[in-house]
Amino acid sequence: MGIMEFRNRIAERLSSKVVPQQAVSLDEKTVLDALRVVQDPDLHKDIVTLGFVRNIKISAEAHSPEAGHKVSHEAGHKVSHEAGHQVSLEVNLTTPACPVKEQLKAQCEAALMALPGVTSTKVTMTASTRGSLPLNSGSPVAASLGQVKNIIAVASGKGGVGKSTTAVNLAWSLAKSGSKVGLLDADIYGPSIPLMTHLKDGATASGSLIEPPKVDGVKIISVGMFGQSGKATIMRGPMAAGVIKQFLSQVAWGELDYLIIDYPPGTGDIQLTISQTAPVTGAVIVTTPQEVALIDVRKAISMFETLKVPVLGVVETMSHFICDGCDKKHFIFREGGGARVAREHGVAFLGEIPMDQGLVEASDHGKPYVASHPKSPVAAAFAKVAGAVASQVSILHAENKNVLQHFSIEWAN
Amino acid sequence: MDNIRVQGITQVDPKTLGILWTDGKKSALDVVMLRRKCPCAACIDEWSHEPRLKPEDVKDTVRPVKIESVGLYALTIHFNDGHRTGIYTFKYLRDLGPLA
Repeated sequence: MGIMEFRNRIAERLSSKVVPQQAVSLDEKTVLDALRVVQDPDLHKDIVTLGFVRNIKISAEAHSPEAGHKVSHEAGHKVSHEAGHQVSLEVNLTTPACPVKEQLKAQCEAALMALPGVTSTKVTMTASTRGSLPLNSGSPVAASLGQVKNIIAVASGKGGVGKSTTAVNLAWSLAKSGSKVGLLDADIYGPSIPLMTHLKDGATASGSLIEPPKVDGVKIISVGMFGQSGKATIMRGPMAAGVIKQFLSQVAWGELDYLIIDYPPGTGDIQLTISQTAPVTGAVIVTTPQEVALIDVRKAISMFETLKVPVLGVVETMSHFICDGCDKKHFIFREGGGARVAREHGVAFLGEIPMDQGLVEASDHGKPYVASHPKSPVAAAFAKVAGAVASQVSILHAENKNVLQHFSIEWAN
Repeated sequence: MDNIRVQGITQVDPKTLGILWTDGKKSALDVVMLRRKCPCAACIDEWSHEPRLKPEDVKDTVRPVKIESVGLYALTIHFNDGHRTGIYTFKYLRDLGPLA
């Protein structure tokens, strides 16, 4: 919503009041009514209807020479005519990674200041990630995933598109915004997460569960932690499936807002096992822009559609290379392929990550780029992707209210 | 079918499974028919798609013991004849019976 349109809506609302302005008493209801002009751009509802507004406090504020000095009615002080009110409240968003946090805050403040009698505002933006996995208490993954709110699959149609790099930087970006994040490296045959995150600690036992080690606050499990480094993990399908099932049922993931699963490339056995074992909230598809990669993206999307795992959107990697000599964008793998395939399938385009030598070096040196170069354009691009992913998850929860996701019924004979 | 999901699963009577879809439509599926239409590899040949299970192999008295969801896309039925390998996708179930 443009700022002009927003102002007009406030003005409209104020002029529709029949009562003279000085007669409007400032109470919680007035405040809530005023905030109804503030819309969540993703959920297409106002923040009051969505139940985001909490802890409304209205206190009298005197305009005495000592600016900001508060006078309470209870104390018996005389409130002068010019005395105003401070409104303080909390806006509880659906994810700490909300990309429009600042915009919503500014809109709330403007809407409150437009109320007669309000002289100052204090809007605190908080967030509690929505979501809970649909699990029965008897489910084999209940002990491990019971406190996980969302599982996000990071998948691709083919290998080498930067899927693990995206998974790591997505995990780190979400964690940076204040979310509790876990990262499961399900790429059984080519686990690269331990190298990319400089993971040195092994897993420890915690009762009957495995305690995952943490790097920068992100809990990580990878098959690479258990084998000998440099040696290939040679496993037949059923064995690989067994390992994945263990990662989903015997790891103490604890309380997480997002568990990111780095899928193996392609559409095969492991992908199927994960989707059958755990209720995956949604999938992020990673691709490079050229047509040969996009063919496989279509297959990946079709697989998730068959498995009824909602596709959250498409991330395009290696979008372009900015020449350090001439600052020109070079579209090495052609331009706009990711956005086109997203549009074709009616899913969101979550963002594009440019090619960057530093990103490759950071991955090889075991420091996620968003942590080593937080101010770089690539880090900004990943932060944007993380915000978009978090938004899509929130939208999904809003849409999924009456879908039965998990059930077990005993037949009565 | 793309966005249609399951809203509710119920046992309608001793031999009918009821599904309420998110578009408000309902399916009422006979459990003996479901056993005969089991889509698993033991009942339908994986390559030729020819049925291996003959209708007369399934007794009219067969009943489910338990019905459970599989991921977000399907359900599985444990039958009292010991068969439990069929994964019935919601798409398959939606196409199996008439909608009310």
